Formats: sequence, C-alpha cells, structure tokens
Amino acid sequence: MTTSGPSRPNRPGSLLPLGLLVPAVAALALALGYPLVRQVILSLQEFGLAQQFGKPAEWVGLQNYRDLVADPYLWKVVVRSVVFCLVNAALTLVLGVGVALLMRQMSKPIRILVQSGLLLAWAMPVLAALTVWQWLFDTQYGIVNWLLTHLGPDFAGHSWLLEPLSFFFVATVIVVWMSVPFVAFTVYAALTQVPEDLIEAAELDGAGPWQRLRAVILPTVRPVLLVVALLQVIWDLRVFTQIYVLQKAGGVTRDTNLLGTYIYRLGIGGGDFGTAAAVAIFMLVLTVVLTAPYVRMMLRQEDAA
Amino acid sequence: MRMKKTLAVTVTALLAMLAMSSCGSDDDNTPQSGGPAKADIRVWLNGADTPQEARDWLKTTFEDQNPGSTLTIEEQQWEGLVERLTTALTSESETPDVVEVGNTQAPTFTSAGAFSDLTSALPDLGGDDLLQGFVDGATADGKTYAVPYYAGSKYVFYRKDLFAAAGLTVPTTTDEFVQTAIALKQANPSPANFSGFWLPGQDWRNGVTFVWNDGGDLAVDDNGTWQGSLSSPESIAGLKTVQQLFQQASGAPKDGNEADPQTPFCNNEIGMMSAPGWVTGLIQDPDTGCPDMMKNVGVFAMPGADGSPAPVLLGGSDIAISAKSPNQDLAQKAVALMLSDDYQSILAANGLTPAKTSLASQLGTDEFAQATIAAATNAKLTPAAPGWATVEGSRILEDLFVDIAKGGDVEKLAKAADDRMSQELG
Repeated sequence: MTTSGPSRPNRPGSLLPLGLLVPAVAALALALGYPLVRQVILSLQEFGLAQQFGKPAEWVGLQNYRDLVADPYLWKVVVRSVVFCLVNAALTLVLGVGVALLMRQMSKPIRILVQSGLLLAWAMPVLAALTVWQWLFDTQYGIVNWLLTHLGPDFAGHSWLLEPLSFFFVATVIVVWMSVPFVAFTVYAALTQVPEDLIEAAELDGAGPWQRLRAVILPTVRPVLLVVALLQVIWDLRVFTQIYVLQKAGGVTRDTNLLGTYIYRLGIGGGDFGTAAAVAIFMLVLTVVLTAPYVRMMLRQEDAA
Repeated sequence: MRMKKTLAVTVTALLAMLAMSSCGSDDDNTPQSGGPAKADIRVWLNGADTPQEARDWLKTTFEDQNPGSTLTIEEQQWEGLVERLTTALTSESETPDVVEVGNTQAPTFTSAGAFSDLTSALPDLGGDDLLQGFVDGATADGKTYAVPYYAGSKYVFYRKDLFAAAGLTVPTTTDEFVQTAIALKQANPSPANFSGFWLPGQDWRNGVTFVWNDGGDLAVDDNGTWQGSLSSPESIAGLKTVQQLFQQASGAPKDGNEADPQTPFCNNEIGMMSAPGWVTGLIQDPDTGCPDMMKNVGVFAMPGADGSPAPVLLGGSDIAISAKSPNQDLAQKAVALMLSDDYQSILAANGLTPAKTSLASQLGTDEFAQATIAAATNAKLTPAAPGWATVEGSRILEDLFVDIAKGGDVEKLAKAADDRMSQELG
C-alpha cells in the first residue's frame, strides 16, 4: 500500500505514515463503522419491539429489501426526497452565492451587519428556529396569515401545511433559510481570494459584469462551490428535524414523508426496525449515487492540482 | 485513482473487523428486583395532567421515607411518547425508572418485555380495588406489567352565554348534538374560525366516539388476526358524521392537533369542545387561561344515539417500572406511593378519576364530577391488539381524520386506512 505520490521519495518499510493514519481510522471506525455494520445486520433481520427488549432476532436475508422494492410507496418517497433535495440545494446555492457576491460590494459596517444577521440565523438551535417558524405560519394566530389578510387576499385561517405542495413550500423556506448563511460565508471567503487584478484586467478587456462573473470569478471559486454543493445535497437529502416538527404541527404525515421521516415512522414509530434499517441502507446508496459525480469531479481536481 | 483504491481497501478491512467484533456484544440482562439502597429515581410523567400538588407530595414523601435517595420528575410530552419510550427503555444507563404510559399504549410495551413484572406486588398496590379494565389491559400471558395511574374520559365543555344568546339548550342525543354544534357556528359568524364544536383535524380520539356510536369500530379481532374495520357500513356512517362536524361546525385547523384547547376557548373561538377534565384547571389558571370565563362554562357528558352517554375513549394512564432500570426496589416504592390513598386523593380532587374504585367519591359532587362519572359509564378502550401502539406511532388515524377534514371521500379513505392498520397489526 503506497500513500505518497510517485514524484515524492518513496521509502518502503517506513511504518510512520500508516501509524499516523491510525487515530483517524479508529475514530471513523467507532463513529461510522459500527453503526453502519449494525445497520446492515439489522436490515437482514426481522427486528421488532420484542427484539429491542432482548428476544433473539430472526434472520430473514433479503426479505426486507424485497418487500420494500415491491412497495410503490417507497418509490413515491424516494422521488419526493430527491426532488426536495435538488430544489433546496439549488435554491440554497443560488441565494448563498448571491449574498456572497453582494457582500463584496457592501461597505464595511453594512457587511458586518449582514454577516451578524447571517451568523445568528446559522447559530440558532434548529428546534428554537422551528418553533418560531411554526408560529409565523400558524393557521389561527400566525403573523403570515395576518399580514397577508391585511394586504388584501383572505388568508384568515389558511392552513399552510394542509396540502403537500404548500407544506413543502414552508419546509423549503425554513431549510433554505437555515443553510444560506453557511454557503454565503464559505463562498464569500473564497471570493476574497479572487485576485483583484484579474478582475480589473477582464474589465479593461471589455468584459461586462455578467461576463466577469461567469468567466473569471466563478471558475476561480469552483472548487469551493463544488464542496458546498456536495454538502448541500447530502444535508438536504437526509433532512429530518424540519419535516418531523412540521408534520406534528399539521399536514398529512403519509403525504409529506421524506426518506428521513419515513425511516423514523417505520422504525421508532411503527416498531419495525428491520425494514427501517433496509430503507436507511437504500438511502445511503442513493446518497452515494447522487453525490458520486461531485466526488469524482473533486478527485479529478485534486489529481490535477 | 490510487487514493480511491486505498480508501476502498481500508474501509473493507474496517467493516470486516467490526462485523466480527460486534457479534455477541448485545447486553440482555434484565434486572427484575434488587438494586442499590440509595439512588436517584427518575419518574417520567406526561403532559400537564398530574397536578403540581401531587408532584410535590410524591417527591417530598419519597425522599423522607428513603433517606439518601432522591426522586426527580421529568415531564414528557404525550405527543411522540411511544417513540421516546421505545428508545429510552432499551438502554440500561438511560432508562427512567418509573414511567407513565397511556393505557392504550401499554399493551405494546408489556408484550415486548419492556416493563418489570408487577404481579406479585399487585395485592399491596391495591389488588381488586384497582380499575380492573386497566389492569387487564396491562396483563400479558397472566402477568401484570403495569398498574392504573388515573382514568378520565373527555366530556363536553360549553359556553352557557353563547347557548343562551343563540337560544340553544344542552343536547340530549347525538343528532341534537350535531345540530346544536352547527347552529352555534351559524349564530357566531365572527370570528371566522369560530367552532360550534371544536374538532382539530388530527383529533381522532374525539372522532372515534361517533364511529362507536353508530356501531362501528377501529379494528376487530378476526379469528386471532386483528384487522382494521373503519370501512364497515357502521363505521362509515360515523365517519360521515365526523366529516359533517369538521365542515359545518368546526373552525379549528383542519390539520391541527388537540393540544392546548384552552387557548382558542379563552379567545372566544369555541362554543363546545370535548376535553379531559383537567383542562378546567388550565382555564382557571391566570397564566394559561381565563379565570373570568369560568362563570360561563358548563359541562355535560357527550350524549349518545339513544340519549345515554356516548361511547367515549376511556382515557387514562398506567404506571410501570422499566425492566432495564437498575433500581427495581426503589422504583417499586415510588409506584406504591403513587397508588397510595393520599396521592390518589390529590388526583381525584383535581378532576382525575382515581386508580382505586374506593376513592371515586373523592371526585366530589359538582357539575364537573357528575360529567366525569357519567362519561366513564360508557367509555371504551382502543382495540386490545398487541401492536396497537404502532398504529398510533405511525399516525395512521391522524392522517385519516385530517384527510376527512379536508373533505375527502370517506369510503375510499377508510378502506386505505384499514389496509394500513391491518398491515401494522397483522
């Protein structure tokens, strides 16, 4: 096993590089490996509440997977989750990059104000933020309905969570609101590294603002954009808390389940841990498939660098 | 490329290593008695049901009788309780020692082995004096795993002043009740969300009354297999009444839940609502409610088809000891205190039906006590299927009633809900 590149001196027999890997690998094994293995085993068992309290579990092989693949509801949830994930990740990126570009143009005091606001939104505990959002969109006493009604249309008693599309609209607003600050900060940090003279040169060559953005700025920050996009896709695919809390507040659970809440309802709610684990494995595979192109692009970039 | 391959090799080796080491690491010793003489006993109580006075009494008395030990009450929300118990009760280090669990949720945990066997302690805890239906519900294979804590069925709170203004009288049959609710809504066009009868979409626990009232049921035992029976003609008739109430009498959110009924009630948005007796306390409390309103509040037991009280959901709680708790002896002492006459009398004085039948007189004789007693005469339990709590955990009934509130096709929705219930119960 060689871990160093061909250009560097290669000293066979030295165990130091391997030794240095041990702490990281051990931490990964403990935090990720064990649950993963447990999960795979669980997904091959008939594991219910009684097993949870000590009864031996029955080995069922791939039966859980077979049942799932045959269930049209799983596919509905998968499509829903993927669409929700892509829409949210795209919106978050567009808005985040937009805010980052805006920050470049701001005077220092304004920028600090905006950054503090973003930081507060980012640092707010999820449940606290969700409680506030829930109140904003409350059917009876929510300020959104009150404002809209005062502006003209009759929104008194309008339930935002009742129809699935409207439910996901609210969820999208909340999820995007929570993730934009991270993207904005990261991209802004990358933007500060774009050489000013490069932009100036482009300007002298007659490039308009749009051309400067597309041909100079974005290619320079491309690696950062890739990483951020990758993280967003992963986060938005496994979104749980926001959907879970909104489902309690209203809406029809079955029509608004995403993969995260579906697994929870199956396992912890319905006491069918085996099937829930199978869905979770399925979700893991889906994440890998969705993110593979990004990872490949990133690896290629590393090789080129 | 090479980097990827190295990674793959490392991960595979890692997984293989872990697969071997994870076998046989399961810990399934379940203490059923014993434990240290001194410990901190954690008691999970749900919602605001247990009055503060009872909590204080329990803590003080327990700590006086067991010097060196402490008792901590941790309040849990009813919402999501099944899920929380499912996770907490399995961990020896995290489990609470004593838990309150809804009487309809208990069978799932008793048959799974989550609670300690209390059969031998039963005579000391009250024996035949305990509410028999609750004891039966918590008994599996001849062993009793939980004891009743309190009972209480919902009854109807109504606004005397609004009834008088609309020229209405207290209804005596189900038909009259529905007509009164609709008339009350029509008599109060403002605010727009006024409810003649307040029925949030997720509130199947009140909705089921109308299903039972027409002779239907949630699920039936068909030769040993439980099956949903909401699509029987009787159940459909009841669900149609519920839809009528949703659409013509209720101004509550069509997807809301029944938490905090005192807020819209105090906000003059409710003519009638069906709520547990302890909601009186919330209305009387200056912080949560509107004490001034109390003079206009009347109560009655929901009337059934023939004029006798309607079959309402027998609400209430059980108390159980976590099988994984290391403090079995101390936990049992805490349970004994919670079933003592002193403690149960405090519950009764606060409108909760005590766990012992001999203490029923402690409820008093006022209008509220009469409604409590009347409502209990025809109360029913959710199906005694072992997997019932998973039906509640997967929110099948919440979804069904929200869809009905939205104005969906009752027959189709009921059929779909039956299929899902049969799947969970089978």
